[in-house]
Amino acid sequence: MSKSLLLISQRPEDQAFAQQVAITAGLTLQTVSNPKEGAEILVNEGATVIFADTSSEEHYHALENAIQSSIGLFSEKINANTTHFISSDDLERVPYLIQSPLFGNFIVRNYGDPKEAGQHYGKIVKASIQERAFGPKFLLKEGTKIQTVKFQVSTQKQDGVEAIKNFLLAAKFQSRMATTIANAVDELLMNAIFDAPVDELGKQVLATTSRSTKIDLQDQHAVEMHVGFDGRYAAITAVDLFGSLDKARLLNFISKIYVEEEYKVRTSIAGAGIGLGTVFRSGGSLFFVSESRVRTEVTVFFMRTSNFREFRDQFRFMSTQFYF
Amino acid sequence: MVNVIKEQKGNVLLVRLTGSIEESVNFDQLIGSPPPELHVNCKEVPRINSVGVKAWIKYFQTAQSKGSKLKFIECSTAIVQQINLISNFTCGGEVESIYVPFSCTTCKSELVGLFKCEDLKKIELNLPELKCSKCAGKAAFDDIPEEYFAFLVRNE
Repeated sequence: MSKSLLLISQRPEDQAFAQQVAITAGLTLQTVSNPKEGAEILVNEGATVIFADTSSEEHYHALENAIQSSIGLFSEKINANTTHFISSDDLERVPYLIQSPLFGNFIVRNYGDPKEAGQHYGKIVKASIQERAFGPKFLLKEGTKIQTVKFQVSTQKQDGVEAIKNFLLAAKFQSRMATTIANAVDELLMNAIFDAPVDELGKQVLATTSRSTKIDLQDQHAVEMHVGFDGRYAAITAVDLFGSLDKARLLNFISKIYVEEEYKVRTSIAGAGIGLGTVFRSGGSLFFVSESRVRTEVTVFFMRTSNFREFRDQFRFMSTQFYF
Repeated sequence: MVNVIKEQKGNVLLVRLTGSIEESVNFDQLIGSPPPELHVNCKEVPRINSVGVKAWIKYFQTAQSKGSKLKFIECSTAIVQQINLISNFTCGGEVESIYVPFSCTTCKSELVGLFKCEDLKKIELNLPELKCSKCAGKAAFDDIPEEYFAFLVRNE
C-alpha cells in the first residue's frame, strides 16, 4: 500500500503547499474539503500523514468531532506525530490547538511561495515518516555539508554561539539575521546543557544550577551541535543524550508570550523560561525529535532572505516527533 | 560578555553597556547599588539571551522598587526586540531613543538611524527616507512596523 498524505482543506494555497510536500516526501496526496470526508478516508483507507486546516476554533472542533465519532481520537490510525495543523495565526492565538491530544505539528500559513515552502517542509515530513526522524542531514538539500561541534564543557557555549554567527556572516546572512540565529542557538544549547539532564526518576538535576556554572559535558551529559547551510536554509541542531523533552512543558513555554502579561522572575529556577518562545517569534522554525531516555535533537531553521523584514516574515513551523 | 562604562553627571549615573548580555552578567557588580536616577545607554548591546533578560529584569525591577528613575537611551535593535516581547522589560523606565533598522534598496547594506521615541510618535511612524552611507541609494525601514514599534503604541 502506498503512503499517503491526506489534506483536509478548501484553500488553494494549502493544496499547492501539500502537493509539493507530497512530492518531496514521496507520498500520494488525497484532498478533501471537510473533516467528515477526511474521517471517512481514515476509517476506510487510513493515511500516513494528515494535514488539516485548523484556522479557527470551529474548524478544529469540526475535525475533532469527525475523528472522535469515526475512529476515535486515541485510535492507532491517527497520532500527534503524523498530524499537522495549519493556521494563519501564531501559536499564542491558538490555545485550542495546543490543548489538543493530536497537537504535534504546527504550520503557520505564510507560505510565501507554496512550492518552495512545500519543498522545505516536505523534508520534515519525509524524516517524520521514517522509523526515527533523527539526523539533520535529511532536513537540508541533498549533499549539504553538515559540520559537527562537540562541547567539552558548558562554558564553551558562548564560543560556539559566536562561531555560528561568524559561519552565517560568511554565508552572507545579514548581521542582524546572524545575531538572531546565534541567539536561537544559544537557547537550544542552554536547554541541552541545563534543562535536559534528568535523574532516573525523570527529575531535572540542573534546574537550579546557575547557567554560568562550568559543567563537564561528558558521557550522558555530552552535547553536540550540527550546523549546515544549503544555500537557502540554515539548520542548526542541538543534541543531548537524555531524551527527557516533556511535550506539555515544551508547549507551555513555546506558546507563552509576555506582550500583555508581565514576565515574573522566578528565583527558584536558574533558567528564564522564555528562550524557545522568543526563537519561534523571531522568524525561525523548530523541529523537536525526542526518544524517551535516549536522545533529543532540536533543530532550528532560518531562511536567508534579502532583507530582515522578509526574514521575520518567512514561512514557519513547529514540529515535534516523540518516541516512547 | 557585557562591560559597563560609568559616568556620573550630577544626580544622574549614566552607564554604557557594551557587549552581549548573557548568563555571565552580574548587574549588581557592574552597576552597583541603584542611584536615584539611572540612564542606561544600550547602543552597543548586539544580543541578549533569555538568562540575560532575566538578570536585566531582576536588577532594574529592584532599582525601580528602590525609587530609581530609569531611562533607556539609544536602544539597539536587540533591546527594542525585548522591549516589544516582554511588557515589563523596561521596569517602568522611560525609553528615550531607539535605533531603527534600515536596508539599502540598492546595495542591501544594513543601516540604523537613531530616533527619539517622542519624535517617532510625532511623525506617526512615517519614517523619513535615509540615504545609504555606502552607495547613496535609498534606504527603507527594514522590519515589520507593527512589531518593531509596538511598544510605542502599547505605552500610550
